[in-house]
Amino acid sequence: MSDKCARGWRRADTDFVVQGVARELADALDKEIREDLTEDQLERLRDSLADSLGRDAAAGARRAHRAFEDRQRRRQKAVERRKKKALSAGSVERLSLHLRIQHMILFASTITLIVTGLPIKFHDAAISVFLIHLMGGPGVTRIIHRIGAVGLTFIGVYHIFYTMAFESGRRDFGRLIPKLQDAKDFFHQMGYFLGVKKDKPLFGRFSYIEKFDYWAVYWGLVVMITSGYILWFKVLAINQFGKSIYDIAMEAHSDEALLATLAIVIWHFYNVHFNPKRFPGSLTWWNGRMDLEEFKEEHPLEYEEMLQSEDIAKSSKEGSAGEALSSKARGDFP
Amino acid sequence: MRPTARMKPKSFLSGRWMTFAFVTLSIALLGTVPVRSQDDLRCLTCHGKPGFKKTLPSGQVLGLFVDPTPLRLSVHKKLNCVQCHADVNEVPHKERPQRVNCKRCHYQGNTMGAPQTSKYMEFENSVHGLALKAGNPKAPLCQDCHGGHFILPGSDPRSRVGHDNVPQTCGTCHIKIYGQYRESIHGKALAMGNKDAPVCTDCHGEHTIQRPSAPSSSVNPANVANTCGKCHAKIVIMKKYGINAEQVSTYKNSFHGIANEFGVLKAANCASCHTAHDILPPDDPRSSVNPKNIPKTCGRCHHGANANFAKGRIHVDPDDRSAGIVYWVALGFKILTLSTLAGLFIHIGLDLFRQVKARKPREARLPEAPTEENEP
Repeated sequence: MSDKCARGWRRADTDFVVQGVARELADALDKEIREDLTEDQLERLRDSLADSLGRDAAAGARRAHRAFEDRQRRRQKAVERRKKKALSAGSVERLSLHLRIQHMILFASTITLIVTGLPIKFHDAAISVFLIHLMGGPGVTRIIHRIGAVGLTFIGVYHIFYTMAFESGRRDFGRLIPKLQDAKDFFHQMGYFLGVKKDKPLFGRFSYIEKFDYWAVYWGLVVMITSGYILWFKVLAINQFGKSIYDIAMEAHSDEALLATLAIVIWHFYNVHFNPKRFPGSLTWWNGRMDLEEFKEEHPLEYEEMLQSEDIAKSSKEGSAGEALSSKARGDFP
Repeated sequence: MRPTARMKPKSFLSGRWMTFAFVTLSIALLGTVPVRSQDDLRCLTCHGKPGFKKTLPSGQVLGLFVDPTPLRLSVHKKLNCVQCHADVNEVPHKERPQRVNCKRCHYQGNTMGAPQTSKYMEFENSVHGLALKAGNPKAPLCQDCHGGHFILPGSDPRSRVGHDNVPQTCGTCHIKIYGQYRESIHGKALAMGNKDAPVCTDCHGEHTIQRPSAPSSSVNPANVANTCGKCHAKIVIMKKYGINAEQVSTYKNSFHGIANEFGVLKAANCASCHTAHDILPPDDPRSSVNPKNIPKTCGRCHHGANANFAKGRIHVDPDDRSAGIVYWVALGFKILTLSTLAGLFIHIGLDLFRQVKARKPREARLPEAPTEENEP
């Protein structure tokens, strides 16, 4: 059943990729107009449009569109090539450079915020006093905290933009939406942990664990950024909504900060650092790569998808790497 | 052996000292008794006449009559005039005597029988003592607060430094502040005979008094919360007046309190909002924390604050149900955090359990591995 799922996804994805952002938009527009107008009306509309814009402009636009499509296609091919290269090298690119930079900005601002923020929450602890004075006193940490806040806000907003404007962002976002399968996977995993089930659940690009991580950060960003700006622009907020808004924001900011920190230190650090399989830490955040063996084990469905696209690539006389990969996947690679 | 050998001369020496001190003291006391009464009589020849006065060259009339009764009722009842007015060595004296210097007896380690206390030194380093050293003619001497002839212990309600009389005593110089204090809730409570009501010295200290800008001052911005907390954090005292004893801890957990704790003294302390001397309860329309005045009070630092600053509590305790929505937010987060962490820990624990379990059969599987590879 999960097989079918995976194939369905693959086809949809390939279509998406080939069409490209601009093409899709153009198609959608065209369709919408076509639905409402008759052929004659459409013809007339096109004529009047061409007249009013000037034929050169229309041709220029068409050319630009075609160039854009070409570039998209070339880019897609480059990605495919890199993917293939990686597969033949024994590892896959799990995180693109784009995502890695997003992750780096995210963790740099988060660490900054935690280091300058938690001592305020735990102001009675000796280490807090030490840390605050080490960084130059509360006047300085306040500024550092706000620099971190701007970084976090930027990456939050940019990530939303990324999930809307970029092909890869849209695709990954779609795959991050929780589904019934995730609940099934979860119970399957619990069964596996307890020895009731012999095999692990088969995960696609994102397991329910990764989806939880992603949405936990999403929720955290929404709470922290909203409450943080209320605290930052307190006079504006209180003047607008009354003093209670400040107290609520303060409480939420403080509590969610602790929750987020604990979740990162315990859960995320376990998953990427302290898990015996990964200790002392996965380097995926740095080079974006994941060992093929590990990849096959952790994301078998995505691996299968990749093989399918490799098969297509092979049938379209693209390369021998795909062949190597398929043979490797079958397990008869030396 | 050695310690005892060492101890002996020491105890012998101290014994000798004791004897010496005792003998000297007895001679001094026995010797002065007859002289004292004689001296007092000689002084009172003039100063005992009611209406004895002198007109100064400036035209000011100085009353010089001294009633001996207060001195005889005071702690110094056994002293005679010249023991304090020591610069009078002939009768009648030609010069106007200097102001009495209490330090002749009142120093730590004195043998005159004055109390042994560090308060004398504390005064030297207080704002008043330092002003005195700097030559400020307005600086107070001991007798300006404690009185001249009628000095009584602070525990005596008639004493100038007794609890109820302190504001008046300080007010002789600090008249404007005394006026503010009398109108404040503390001053009014004192006037009603309330023994809990703080007087000047309860906040400012007695002999240790410092200017508020001094870091060691009890009313320095860094120390105000603790000074107010001496009473306002005590449930036993606050319960009597229906005041929440959590106000100090809620302040300390607020941004104002935390900033203050970390040394940002421009952050608000108790007195920044409640004022120092004219503190009034919030239901008083003149109070700085009356809802009507809150925009102005908050606006002193938070420019542009409007009436919405008065909507909601100022001292919020998220663990108290009366905090309303803040309480529920805090509770919600407590539940969310605990349940999330419990879930995550269980997941991690199960994962590790499974990994450890999976390790055992590996040894059994080991010989199989080569056969698998040899097959193709």
